[in-house]
Amino acid sequence: MDKQLIPRGLRRTSFTNFLMWLVPWVLMLGVGLYAIYLCLAEGLFHTNMDNRFAFGLWIYLDLTVIALGAGAFFTGFLLYILRRDELKSVINSAVVVGLICYSGAVAVLMVDVGQPLRAWFTFWHPNTHSMLTEVTFCLTVYLTVLLIEYLPIVLKNRKLRQIPRFMVFEFQLHKIMPVLAGVGTFLSFFHQGSLGGLYGVLQGRPFAYREALGIWPSTFFLFVLSAAAVGPSFVLLITWLVQRISRKQLVKPEVFRFLGKVSGILLIVYILLKAIDTLIWMNYTSPESGFAAYMFYHAGSFGTWILVLELVVLGLVPAVLLVTPKMRARPGVLVGAALAACCGIVVNRFVMTVQTLALPTLPFDAVLSYSPSWEEIATFLAVVAYGVLLYSLSYRYMTLFPQERDLYQSSWR
Amino acid sequence: MEQATEKKSRFGMLIDLDRCTGCGACMISCAVENNIAPAEQKATTRTGVTWIRVSAMSNGAEFPATDTVYVPMPCQQCEKDTPCVAVCPQNAVDVDPQTGIVGQVPQRCLGCRYCMTACPYHARYFDWWDPRWPEGMEQTLNPDVAPRMRGVAEKCNFCHGRLHAARTKAAAEGRTDIAPADYVPACVEACPAHAIVFGDLNDAESEVARGAAHPHSFRFLVKLGTESKVYYRSERAWVRDNADAFRLA
Amino acid sequence: MFPWIYEFHWSVGHLVFLGLFFSVAAIVATTIVLALRRSRKTLADQGHELIQWKTEFEDLPAAVRVCRHQITGEAKERTCHNEFDCRSCAGHPQFLARRSPALASAQTREECYGVVLPLDRYYHRGHTWVKAEKDGTYTIGLDDFGAKMVGTPDAVELPEVGSTLTANGTGWTMRKRASSLRILAPVDGVVVEQGGADKGWYLRIRTEANEHAFRHLLRGEEIRPWILRELERLEYALSSDKMGLSLADGGELMPEMWKHDPDIDWDGVWGTMLLQA
Repeated sequence: MDKQLIPRGLRRTSFTNFLMWLVPWVLMLGVGLYAIYLCLAEGLFHTNMDNRFAFGLWIYLDLTVIALGAGAFFTGFLLYILRRDELKSVINSAVVVGLICYSGAVAVLMVDVGQPLRAWFTFWHPNTHSMLTEVTFCLTVYLTVLLIEYLPIVLKNRKLRQIPRFMVFEFQLHKIMPVLAGVGTFLSFFHQGSLGGLYGVLQGRPFAYREALGIWPSTFFLFVLSAAAVGPSFVLLITWLVQRISRKQLVKPEVFRFLGKVSGILLIVYILLKAIDTLIWMNYTSPESGFAAYMFYHAGSFGTWILVLELVVLGLVPAVLLVTPKMRARPGVLVGAALAACCGIVVNRFVMTVQTLALPTLPFDAVLSYSPSWEEIATFLAVVAYGVLLYSLSYRYMTLFPQERDLYQSSWR
Repeated sequence: MEQATEKKSRFGMLIDLDRCTGCGACMISCAVENNIAPAEQKATTRTGVTWIRVSAMSNGAEFPATDTVYVPMPCQQCEKDTPCVAVCPQNAVDVDPQTGIVGQVPQRCLGCRYCMTACPYHARYFDWWDPRWPEGMEQTLNPDVAPRMRGVAEKCNFCHGRLHAARTKAAAEGRTDIAPADYVPACVEACPAHAIVFGDLNDAESEVARGAAHPHSFRFLVKLGTESKVYYRSERAWVRDNADAFRLA
Repeated sequence: MFPWIYEFHWSVGHLVFLGLFFSVAAIVATTIVLALRRSRKTLADQGHELIQWKTEFEDLPAAVRVCRHQITGEAKERTCHNEFDCRSCAGHPQFLARRSPALASAQTREECYGVVLPLDRYYHRGHTWVKAEKDGTYTIGLDDFGAKMVGTPDAVELPEVGSTLTANGTGWTMRKRASSLRILAPVDGVVVEQGGADKGWYLRIRTEANEHAFRHLLRGEEIRPWILRELERLEYALSSDKMGLSLADGGELMPEMWKHDPDIDWDGVWGTMLLQA
């Protein structure tokens, strides 16, 4: 049965090996599900969050994971709207990664909120001024879009496509994919931005507050741009990782280079705008609200080093490496730079979430520290395990890399 | 109908920091008045619910110049772009235009805690535990105030139960406006040092309005532009000078 | 959310926000409904055979989708975007005007590396052939290349007499070892008799016998370059797995060739050679 489900002409490890690979992830998922049960059934005191550190590991990782998952919408945008056909070879994988990222984030969010059963209230009587409302609406619809985009990949499975109904539906769905890619791009623009706006509007948190451009704070646009910039890098990284783990060539090297180039160009623009934004904030926004910007970097352990790390070491450096054709041509540099770019966004989301919350506002307050509880970590690891499981199953039984068969059958050359 | 004819108020507070001894009676009376469940054993200062909280602030000087002030901090009832109102995704926070009081609707709250992140005064609290009272203690619950369920945010609302009681009394007596003496939050009543004054800031003659206008009165983090309605007062310049931002150690 | 729900505001911001949300939700819902309706229509029209071919053709490696005129050397580089259906190809008549290969007599045959292909019939790129019979019917069979590569099938599932064949749709299916192989029908037609491997043909059909109906099929001098290319393709497919089997050293295609190395992923090899995903 297992053999019948594997796409024709692809080499996959034996079923036993595959099961062995799944076991640790299933265990990890199990522990995480137990932690989730504790949080849902007994209360959020199982976390180490508190009234001051009201957002913790979960929100931070949600933001990060959603930024990295932007590869799905941006690859779709480049392929279906801008007609960059070379990306056909990674779009399926990008969609699966996006689906994992978004569904994982939404799942964790549902554990994170105190009354998950009331989530529909946001739709029923929304406060349209809240960035979180925008995020909730866009995230829900976009997750639906991702599921619809994932559907053809599943239906194209060797066994399922033998059912004419599925095969025809897959064909028809595929034909209207550009519409969905357009909708996905539209939605992603808003929710990636709103996630940035989430902090940018916090008038009461001068470390995060930014001037508004139109109806959105500058962080709105910076988040859109940074997510679009690292999305391709993350797709590159995941593809490279899958190639390493499966010891197979899955896409042509020029696809990697193209992803790197797109990432690099956007990253350059992002870093430039982020630098301007930081300067305006340091010299104008922050002092206006009574807080000299240097104070933020002298309180606690968050020195200016974190700024240098985010903007230069994990920002400008990988961006320059990625836009330089000579550097990009070297696989080690390409993958390293993509990894650094992704880490840059991980640091950025950390700064926006954790540093913002750690820094005090009142004169009798000190910098706060917070370390997540095992339940929080286990819940997050459950999402990782879920991601690995879904990806592994998709990789084994569906065609994630259309070039694989081609590359494999001509690999002797 | 009652609200339509009631005059517009801006309820505010003035806390005299020179009078505050840091005894914490306000916190206790607040918890009793507003049905805040006794803290769980594992609760910390950062996970417990205290609608008003007394913090100590020192001038950091060496003895004998060292000086400490105690700052009781309830919800500051911000008036302009109230940070917690704008961020709530499902309209669970609102400002009553009739009273200027920022209200929290726990039945609507999703528990996302975005409002807590937004509040610069850290005056919002989350119910990390199910509210539980020891056997028999539920007899002491205030029937005018609904206890909150686990997983929602809550905060000071200037003792809404007492406002409601004052309105009921006024209505019974055929008045449309409440008598100032009928509406006094629990902390104001409980403070042994009479450090807290409460009243309508719109009423220029009220003690709170006159006190707020005093040159030695100030508000915390005033440059954030939230226009809070809880004023503080101290004759000590260092207290006033430090009110705008956190201090570096 | 709706005007009659609490907290609905008739303000510009609120209306724009909800308007956008409802529009997007409507677009997503419409796409799904549209896809479902189109699918139902296609299924009702029996169009799924061609759709299967279309989708599978898309998934074929670029090296397989090469135009017949590149194989013969008439064009330098030409990839088919027409699902191997030369009948509706705009470029094909221009090539025909310059050179039009024709069928030969029953005695002529093309032989290379042990593959024997008589030139009195038309060949489909999926290794089937169509031959005009004296009684006005046509027979369809698997060519020598396909027959040697797969060997004797373990089971054959032929369409019933009276059923319709669509060119590039399913001709019949064969099972061999664990593989289920879909053999592509070379032409449109109606099945009048079932054959089998032992008879030398699999189906006898009735079809409109005009030149246009056969235009997409290979014939005459096209056969040799095509079969050479197919041998090359087979070699790629085989050698990528294990180096055990090779045709490069002057070997010949043997019947039941899978027996020489049963560990090879024959399912993949057969699938690639018979143009299916």
